[in-house]
Amino acid sequence: MNAFIPLLILQDYAVIISMAVGVLVVAVVIFLMTSSSIDEDKDSAKHKTYKMRGRYFFGLIIFLVICTFVSLRFLPYHRFQNKPEEEVTVVGMQWSWKMAPGVSDKSPGEFTGSNEISLPANKGIEFIVTSADVNHAFGIYNSKGVLLAQTQAMPGYHNKLQYEFAQKGDYHILCMEYCGLAHSFMMGTIHVN
Amino acid sequence: MIQLEPVELKKERRLAITWSITFLILFPLLITLGLLMRLNQGEIIKLPINDFYALMTLHGLGMVGVLFSIAYAGLWYLISTRYRRLNIKIGYFAYFFVVIGVLCLAFGTLIGGFAPGWYLLYPLPFKGATWTVWSTRLSIVSLIIMGIGWLVGILHLLYGLAKEYGGFFNLLGWQYLGKKKVERELPPIVMISTVSLVPGVIAFLAGAVFLIMYLLQSFEPALSFNVLLMKNITMFFGHTLANIIIYSALGWVYALLPEFTGREWKTNKVLVYSWSATFLFILFAFFHHMYMDFAQPIGIQYAGQIISYLSAVPATVVTMFGVITQLYHSKVKWGIVPLTFLIGTAGWAIGGGAAVVDSTISMNSVLHNTLWVPAHFHTYLLMGALLFIFGFLFYLFTEKGNQDGGKLAKTGFWLFALGGHGFLATFYFGGLSSVPRRYADYSGIEIKSVHETGMHLAQISIWLISLLVIGLFIMYFSLFSKLCRKKLKAIPAKENE
Repeated sequence: MNAFIPLLILQDYAVIISMAVGVLVVAVVIFLMTSSSIDEDKDSAKHKTYKMRGRYFFGLIIFLVICTFVSLRFLPYHRFQNKPEEEVTVVGMQWSWKMAPGVSDKSPGEFTGSNEISLPANKGIEFIVTSADVNHAFGIYNSKGVLLAQTQAMPGYHNKLQYEFAQKGDYHILCMEYCGLAHSFMMGTIHVN
Repeated sequence: MIQLEPVELKKERRLAITWSITFLILFPLLITLGLLMRLNQGEIIKLPINDFYALMTLHGLGMVGVLFSIAYAGLWYLISTRYRRLNIKIGYFAYFFVVIGVLCLAFGTLIGGFAPGWYLLYPLPFKGATWTVWSTRLSIVSLIIMGIGWLVGILHLLYGLAKEYGGFFNLLGWQYLGKKKVERELPPIVMISTVSLVPGVIAFLAGAVFLIMYLLQSFEPALSFNVLLMKNITMFFGHTLANIIIYSALGWVYALLPEFTGREWKTNKVLVYSWSATFLFILFAFFHHMYMDFAQPIGIQYAGQIISYLSAVPATVVTMFGVITQLYHSKVKWGIVPLTFLIGTAGWAIGGGAAVVDSTISMNSVLHNTLWVPAHFHTYLLMGALLFIFGFLFYLFTEKGNQDGGKLAKTGFWLFALGGHGFLATFYFGGLSSVPRRYADYSGIEIKSVHETGMHLAQISIWLISLLVIGLFIMYFSLFSKLCRKKLKAIPAKENE
């Protein structure tokens, strides 16, 4: 995934694809509405649209196959080829984050940590994320407000999110899964040195 | 086609109009809840936080419930008046169960403060809940009541169709795939009803399982269920129900659009392959909700993306090209019904495109649970399914051959479409700006750009929702004036009898 980041962020690809779909759809609608006054024999019209449909079908299949192969190379699950250089235990609970270096052997309810942590830049970090109560989601934002990565914090499971901070600075943790009353105030900070 | 006696037809119409009017009353009320939520997110009003989430819960569950109800009711009407007589008492049984369920749910959320969101994600309704225990129980029971109503109605409809067309597999159109000549033509709406409603039955049964588990949990707090399993069941139930709204409504498009274009739209092999594939995609596309649950087996994650991608093939290649084939150089008169069907199909395509983007695992890691998610499903529900619904309502409320709709209806329609797409654009921009969803407001976010973007977009959306509502009420005025005119015309006819 990192190979793409210098060119565009992932959200930009979403804009490009969605805009392309939107423009295509609007163009088809305008064409259909403006050309519908022409009276053409239904078999002749059907022949033309079916010809177009065949081309569209092959185009779509090629597009989807390319998108599948390209996108599946950049999965968010195991980003590092080698072992992570740092491990951080993260526990979500209503309504705060607790983080501490290392792998905790305590139960999520007994885990002690802080909603702030300092981590090194340009090192492979593995966040081991779980929850002490309900589902939360651990979302990492940079200081410009761009969502960089996320994983669910689930009671009874440890989700491993691997991430390498390319730049120093403060990163913010937001809860991305609705978890009750103070969900929108469940924040944390990562200082990357 | 069956020929109904005028009395039977009148009864079926009355049931359809009862469903329609109930929908037309509930829909703007639920929009009002959405408007209040955006006002709160825009920091124009200040709702108590639990009230915000109770409104969010009712808005989500209520909208999916009423949209599915009218989609189902439309299928019931078209099938019962054209292809198979159905028992009207069962129709009313389903109606009353759904209405009772909706009222109980409104009571549980608005009075009891039940607020875990539409998906009641386990174990949220039971841990750290800030609402009353009775409201949890009442809301769960209300969902079960609605489910029973739908299930009875759907099973009756499917059973009737299976008897009429010689078995369940014939309803899927598989007789078209063999070499033997097909004895009896299968109308596409019958096949689409089956493809939409059978997954609906499975989803309701799955829903019943998790809701009963929830009830047990509410009476026995010591119980504990696996959260990943519960989430899979919940997402299967919720995604399937939301998904079949649009597919059910598409059944009407297949049935009614040919009446305006004068071109037949018949079942053939391509259509059968397409809808049989859609049947599978409806059942398994929900996996794309689980990408960020890293504990889910990786094979299922791959399957989620591939199935979601493949679902675009029958949708666009067959159905959307089918709409194009119907309309291209057809000399169609752009009355309100074909207009809603075309613009609704366009909304479905745009929302579907955004859904495919979000169903890409790598994209999902930066779009999941941002405003991109409500953006895409609001697009295909509000600008897709809902436009089909209005097309159907104009068809139902006006006399045959006089379904142009008039300038007033079309003015309302364009205002609604303009306001709707504008409102959705604020959601899309929010998602691209990483604004998280399900936040009562953004004031707690320490990143200034996210807080301000979320707040300003919510403020802009108020104007666009207002435009949408103005368009909606103009359409309402046109609809009801047509209904009254139709009734007035019917009175002298009766007197002459």
